[in-house]
Amino acid sequence: MAEVEKKEVAAATPPWKPKPRPIVRLGIVLISHSLLVSVVCCTAGVVALFLLPMLAKNTYISENALMPGSASSMLSNDDISEAERLAKDLTSLNSGAADAGIERRRVLAKYLSDLGVEVGYHKFEPHQNQFHPLHFFSSPDSGLSRENGSCSSYGINVVGIIRAPQADGKEAIVLVTPFNFRKNSSSEALSISIGYAVFSLLSRVTWLAKDIIWLVADSQYGEYASVASWLRDYHIPVFSASSSDNADSCFEGNNINLLREESLDQTEISSGFRRAGTMAAALVLKVTDVKGQLEDTLSVYAEASNGQMPNLDLINVVNYLAVHRQGLRVKVEKFISVLRWEWIWVLGDTLNFIGKVAGSLNPEWKFGISTPDYVEGTATLANLLYRQALGIPTGPHGAFRDFQVDAITLEISPKVVYTNQGRRNEFILRSARLIEGVVRSVNNLLEKFHQSFFLYLLTSPAKFVSVGVYMIGFALLVAPLPLVAASLYVDANKPDPSSQGPKHKLQINFKPWKWLSAAKQVFTVHAWGVFVSLLPYFISQIPNSTPAAHSIIWFSLSTFGLLVLYLITKSPFKPQKGEWENLKSVTISVVFIGLLLMSVVNFATAQIGALVLVPACLLAQPLKLDIRDASLKSFLRIACNVFISFVAFPPVGFFVLKGVNEGSGNMDVGEFWTWLESLWAWNSATYIYIGMVHLPCWVLCLHILLHSC
Amino acid sequence: MRSKLPDAASSRKMAASSAVVAILASIWLCSSIAADASGSSSETTMHTNNWAVLVCTSRFWFNYRHMANTLSLYRTVKRLGIPDERIILMLADDMACNSRNKYPAQVFNNENHWLNLYGDNVEVDYRGYEVTVENFLRVLTGRHESAVPRSKRLLSDEGSHILLYMTGHGGDEFLKFQDSEELQSHDLADAVKQMKEKHRFKELLIMVDTCQAATLFNQLHSPGVLAIASSMKGENSYSHHLDSDVGVSVVDRFTFYTLAFFERLNMYDNASLSRLFNSYDPNLLMSNAYYRTDLYQRNLQEVPVTNFFGSVMETVHTDSAYRAFPQKNTPRETRIRTGKTAEDDSRRSILTDMTKAECPFTRIVSSLESKMETVGNLDSLVNYGLVMILPVLVVSVWLST
Repeated sequence: MAEVEKKEVAAATPPWKPKPRPIVRLGIVLISHSLLVSVVCCTAGVVALFLLPMLAKNTYISENALMPGSASSMLSNDDISEAERLAKDLTSLNSGAADAGIERRRVLAKYLSDLGVEVGYHKFEPHQNQFHPLHFFSSPDSGLSRENGSCSSYGINVVGIIRAPQADGKEAIVLVTPFNFRKNSSSEALSISIGYAVFSLLSRVTWLAKDIIWLVADSQYGEYASVASWLRDYHIPVFSASSSDNADSCFEGNNINLLREESLDQTEISSGFRRAGTMAAALVLKVTDVKGQLEDTLSVYAEASNGQMPNLDLINVVNYLAVHRQGLRVKVEKFISVLRWEWIWVLGDTLNFIGKVAGSLNPEWKFGISTPDYVEGTATLANLLYRQALGIPTGPHGAFRDFQVDAITLEISPKVVYTNQGRRNEFILRSARLIEGVVRSVNNLLEKFHQSFFLYLLTSPAKFVSVGVYMIGFALLVAPLPLVAASLYVDANKPDPSSQGPKHKLQINFKPWKWLSAAKQVFTVHAWGVFVSLLPYFISQIPNSTPAAHSIIWFSLSTFGLLVLYLITKSPFKPQKGEWENLKSVTISVVFIGLLLMSVVNFATAQIGALVLVPACLLAQPLKLDIRDASLKSFLRIACNVFISFVAFPPVGFFVLKGVNEGSGNMDVGEFWTWLESLWAWNSATYIYIGMVHLPCWVLCLHILLHSC
Repeated sequence: MRSKLPDAASSRKMAASSAVVAILASIWLCSSIAADASGSSSETTMHTNNWAVLVCTSRFWFNYRHMANTLSLYRTVKRLGIPDERIILMLADDMACNSRNKYPAQVFNNENHWLNLYGDNVEVDYRGYEVTVENFLRVLTGRHESAVPRSKRLLSDEGSHILLYMTGHGGDEFLKFQDSEELQSHDLADAVKQMKEKHRFKELLIMVDTCQAATLFNQLHSPGVLAIASSMKGENSYSHHLDSDVGVSVVDRFTFYTLAFFERLNMYDNASLSRLFNSYDPNLLMSNAYYRTDLYQRNLQEVPVTNFFGSVMETVHTDSAYRAFPQKNTPRETRIRTGKTAEDDSRRSILTDMTKAECPFTRIVSSLESKMETVGNLDSLVNYGLVMILPVLVVSVWLST
């Protein structure tokens, strides 16, 4: 009651005004200087992004329990020679024969069961990744693979499980080596050799605390599909009797020969699915032939779906053991084209100079970085951001991340294709010791990786930028959006200076609702965005058509939809004053919300999206006004607006990026379709972002530019 | 003793006769002497037995070395003569049966694997999750639940020398227990103080091998406590070496060099504590060992290490095994007490000083007491007292009628 009275008193005495709180005043100051703030913040945001390679810290092993490299390797030459015998047996089989695949599988199973480990086959149908609008963000389920599977094609993985002799069998470490049983490939045989050498050693040791699963994934339908279907069956057992009967009858009907033969001589191999405990970590091992290398290298691939990364400790352990124990060169993928950009080198030189100057002023400031390091870091960072933004896993390890298992792919490439058996054995020994060391280190872990970072960007195998650092740049980039939105809203709803007088009060009454019409427009365009993102599902059902045809149908349908919407919702009245400001204000608010949401789902997408959308939204202003103004400033703005809105159109952006990366060669319209198809096939949130945030905002910006005010 | 004083004062207020006062005083004196005989000072008692409390406070495989430290010390003190029933061994985790152990059911403290510390005759009193701060403090202070067996109790007395060895992960004034709790220096000091008051030890040697171990002793105030720490404040204690076969560090530096010192000794050696303390080389330890001796009265050069790490004590030769028992408490010990001016005596004198200041009655009492000190025969004193009660009775009856 007292407060009400006080308010009344305050209202009654106009000269005394309650002072707003400091935070409110700060907000008002920022909003009133929104132009300056947005210029400063955006510049700072971009600068912060380019400073990231300089701010990267050295990685360190955060979890005490890991103790990588504290145990000496127990791998001996006997293991290697046995593994080589297996590889020889596998490659000597005639690859032309129809049953070569069956024979190879049996040889492998024989070797495994001779080790005294549990061996099992896992049959799977490789299902095509299909666009399904409701499957975004949903967990992979077993129902997916059971749908309309044709019996004609299937793959069989071979799984060996070592039970830890003294442990409770509640945890497991997974080794994966993709292997095409149908084909003869020397590098795949080499990876089998390495895998078998480690596995045979692990089957003898007494120190295992976690079960070891070796999955020889049948890669004839792709490496990812086989691993993913095995993981799905591992985690989501099918209890319904009818469906499993169906699947089995399907297998048996088609390949009764295989099953009978295998059950004849190897009674210990069960066709039932074998499981061990929860997976602590998984390593995918591949050997590739890359020409022209100076030394044996190890490439680490870590990006899983939607830019998720495994725990940094796993990469640290691998990096530490590879560099300090086995003397391998560790690489993370990078954009080679960035290394050719002249301006990056100049930027690196500048930063190096600044760092040196700072170092001479105060020796404690050690943020200098040598130019090659900076450029390499930038190239790696750019590649990582691109891979994360795509949201497509870079290897079979991505399948593990969907089940919250930390996994990476280790791609080892020898210096040359070894013909000398001694050199070959040495290569196998080094690689196998690396795997052994990583397994022993992970074996020491008590539960899952949790100590180190999950949110990080790598600038080299041994340097990382943590979430607390890289978020600053993004935050600076998006910070002006709400300020500009507020400032535009205030401007648009200012009482008109020309119409002051008795009308004044009336106007105020319905002004606050003015933004609703703008919101309606924005909502309509976003609904159109949803429509556009769902279209490909129906288009892809059209049989016998090329990607190019698909894209053209999609493009024309979308444009048609937009035209229809425009005609329906177009207001018959003359545009009112302040309409475009309101529209821009609402657009910016929506972009802000969209970017923030996306930064939680996939940071890299949000970061790259913000780099394009933030300037596009902030600069957008009706061209008519600028033309009318006819000053240098407005011409500059026109140029910027036209350029940004051209580049921000997703297909154009895609082809520009492709041209920058690979050089302007053959450009096919269908490529964009294929690219988007891969996005939705992998359930990438980037697809949703492009369809529901980026595209509508681009259309709205275009609408503002062409506004007839 | 104190409860008697207000009684006496009130009787004085009632203006009783001085004879009454004298009688009451004599009764109080008798009781005080009796109390003194039973609760005798630990300083004056002989060193009669040795106990060891060995604590490993950390869990997890990568802390293998802490268990190895503790087991090595267990082996050493057993070798030097402390029997298993007088060793309380607390191990927070079981490395021997950890599935990561390459040598199941064996624990080594050296990469040469000559010595299995986890042999047949290791009696672990508190293991795994039983090793908590609460249980540790219960062991020290002797406040157990009734169901706890004798083997899990520290049944020491005022003649005990106790070795308390602790290892684990520590910091500034704390020691981590089980990855979830901490023992703070206050807790330790409080427990030691309680032990002192309950006459649970004569001398206590606390040896701690953790990072910043010295800080754990900051709050200790109880006399008779000697403390050794592996590192000063702000220093780390490092492991000695890695066993690349087992894959973990197997022993800490401080403990390693302590053991190296004891391996050269046997039960009959007379190596002094100061020799042990001087054997620590900061360059080898990579930290500075710290000794706290200000609470300890004896000269370290005269104290053999076997006083704590073994069970070697002075034996008193008596002619007859049977006559020794009744004589043990009364004549010999009183002689020792009068011979030495020990801590407890000074405490009593403080008490009497305080009472002197309070009232003239206590002055008489103290003068009486000093006279009584010279009286040899207690029985006759009591008899005289009883005889003197009779006239008092007569007088009081006469006054009341």
